[in-house]
Amino acid sequence: MIRLIATLFLRAAVVLAGAALATFALLWHAPGDPALAIALARYDAVVPSEVVDLVRTNAGLDAGFWKAFQAWIGPLLVGDFGKSAVTGRDVWPELLSAMSYTVPLALAGLLIGVSLSVPLALLATRHPGGWLDRCAVGVATIGAAIPAYWLGLLLILLFAVHLGWLPAMGARTPAHIILPALTLGLGVAASLTRILRSGILEARGQPFLPAFRRRGVAGRYIERDHVAPHAAIPVVTVFGLELALLLEGAVMVEVIFARPGLGSFLVNAIEARDFPKVQAVVILAALLFVSVNLLIDLIYRTLDPRIGEHDA
Amino acid sequence: MLSVDRVSVRRGANMVLEDVSLSLAPSRTLAVVGESGAGKSTVINAVLGLVPCASGQITWNNAPVGLSRPALVMQEPRGAFNPRMSLRLSVMEPVTARGRAIDQSRLDRLCNGLEIAPDVLDRRPTEVSIGQAQRAGILRALIAAPPLVLFDEPLSALDAVTQKHTARLIAQMQLEEGFAALIVTHDLGYAAAFADDIAVLRAGRIEEVTASKAFVEAPQSNYGQILRDAAFALGALERVA
Amino acid sequence: MTISVTGLSATRSGRTILHSTNMEITPGERVGLVGASGSGKSTLGHALVDTLRAQGQSVAHVPQSPDEALDPMRSMAFHWREAEGALDLPADNSRQQGLFSALQIEGGDLRKRPWGWSRGMQQRFVIAMALIGTPDLLVMDEPTSALDPVVAAGTMDLLDAYLPSRKTALLLITHDLGLAALRVKRLMVMEAGRIVEDAPTAQVLSAPRTQAAKALCAHRNWLELPC
Repeated sequence: MIRLIATLFLRAAVVLAGAALATFALLWHAPGDPALAIALARYDAVVPSEVVDLVRTNAGLDAGFWKAFQAWIGPLLVGDFGKSAVTGRDVWPELLSAMSYTVPLALAGLLIGVSLSVPLALLATRHPGGWLDRCAVGVATIGAAIPAYWLGLLLILLFAVHLGWLPAMGARTPAHIILPALTLGLGVAASLTRILRSGILEARGQPFLPAFRRRGVAGRYIERDHVAPHAAIPVVTVFGLELALLLEGAVMVEVIFARPGLGSFLVNAIEARDFPKVQAVVILAALLFVSVNLLIDLIYRTLDPRIGEHDA
Repeated sequence: MLSVDRVSVRRGANMVLEDVSLSLAPSRTLAVVGESGAGKSTVINAVLGLVPCASGQITWNNAPVGLSRPALVMQEPRGAFNPRMSLRLSVMEPVTARGRAIDQSRLDRLCNGLEIAPDVLDRRPTEVSIGQAQRAGILRALIAAPPLVLFDEPLSALDAVTQKHTARLIAQMQLEEGFAALIVTHDLGYAAAFADDIAVLRAGRIEEVTASKAFVEAPQSNYGQILRDAAFALGALERVA
Repeated sequence: MTISVTGLSATRSGRTILHSTNMEITPGERVGLVGASGSGKSTLGHALVDTLRAQGQSVAHVPQSPDEALDPMRSMAFHWREAEGALDLPADNSRQQGLFSALQIEGGDLRKRPWGWSRGMQQRFVIAMALIGTPDLLVMDEPTSALDPVVAAGTMDLLDAYLPSRKTALLLITHDLGLAALRVKRLMVMEAGRIVEDAPTAQVLSAPRTQAAKALCAHRNWLELPC
């Protein structure tokens, strides 16, 4: 078991290192002169070439790819995200403040998604193939097909423009989170409903369930003790992926609703070629993906010990 | 003539077969019996060259078995066929895949011998009974006239009456075609009735190889006796009065 | 208590797969239900158990394979407690010990899930669970076909020894007349969703009346097949 956990962690470390190297290389080799982009962002004006060269030197861009990569990854290993190439301020506090907008949004979206999809899936699977089931599947399919930017605009039109009930742009009041969270949550609800429904139906079709009924086990206990655990396996997988994709969705929704947060943080950083900031977001996202996957792997093994039986 | 000479097969640290020796002449039938996990299927896989031998060798007429193009009849009749293809296409594959033409009179003769109605071959595996599917599986094995045919639990998916009927058809085809038959089965009744010799396999080792008539009367090994008595207790064999 | 049902039937996608059937089994009787595959044996077994359960009769069913009886994600102990609970019986260690020793279930760790046990022991565990409530009737569907012969023979012998002492009747569903002939006193022969013959075993073996019974009898013994 200890060997197994060690293997899982090692795998996670490899993924993280790969993600760090790959983004750094992509950013480094992107067309255009990074020093010029940084200089433009820093002084917000056309600058003479001596200044660009100066920026190149003190941003470490003249040292070559591997030197620059080392200069960035070294401090990161001890938890130092470095300083912004543009403002020279520490990246970490700015990142933290961006996340203070994004994390509540993502959590609110998740909450809406779960609280819509669980009852919907339970209702739908009560009579598979019935009208309620078909409605639920239909709504979920349409919901999963609608892109967030379109749904966001529709919600803005309805609730902000026509009805004028809710604010749409920015993040000045707590009410400002409602529409973005709804946009995010409806998408989550759509995909979770579908996977919950099929998970429950599949778990109910297991070949051993009739024997439990013939043994006299009450239906509600069969549902609780033999259907739910089996249904949980696919749901946990998708839920984990969903959690990771939530970050991506939140970034997009933030741009639609002009909310501060990781979205604008990232877009601004990319435009300015602010390496440390872009890298910080990428590492954060990779860390989230990897730890969610790690968590799911461990949950699997407690849910169904057959998985990974031959691993260690 | 098939010769399995002191063959051992290893899986990881375990020996799945250990020092197994068997021989089988054309037109003869050898049944390998034993419990699940004894290594029965590994015998077949080793003969087909699907698992490497850690030691020993397997030959047909002193040449590698593969050169003789042995055929295999599998346990699960329907699962052994491509569900998207008609049985006819699947059945002819051993011949067509080698770029040869089908000998129609041979096909007709085999169908006749195996009691396969002409229209059955034009259906898909899911559209025929299990018994029909298994007879088509035997047809596919025999179509290219192999000198050696391996049967992996060929009857265990069938019911008692169909089992015996199919066993008899296999025996009749063997009389006509003269192939050597290596049958892996857990059913001692089948082995005793249709094989010339019975090899008892236990935990990867051969306990005994005995002529089947003599085996029913008096197995040589203790374990052979246990297997035979279980067959008595299940009505697969009847005690000789 | 004598088991008695009338008018058992079943349909699948509009087709009748079990025609109206009556059945009577006296306490402790051993009955075989034989027929070719697809003749409706298992369907009759399920219909019988479900109907008797609905009538409040004490009846238990053992499916062909332990995969159809045990949840791979639950421990053996969980299955046992659940089966006791379903019969409103309190947990009783001596009852469990008694059944385990009667069926020679040994060495298995109850905390393990089914796949931590051998298949033979899984099947015996399932049979032991079926006997928890000392049912009036035990229905076994092809009890030997998923098991190795040695284990299967041992299991059948243990049941033969245990059931009479409890007056539990046995309905043995099998395609194998050879097995049934050794184990039951009365045979019911099924064909195309009907019981076509119902007589003492010796009588069916010596003088089968119907086509189905004749075919079964002619193919009973591997070493004495008809020419």
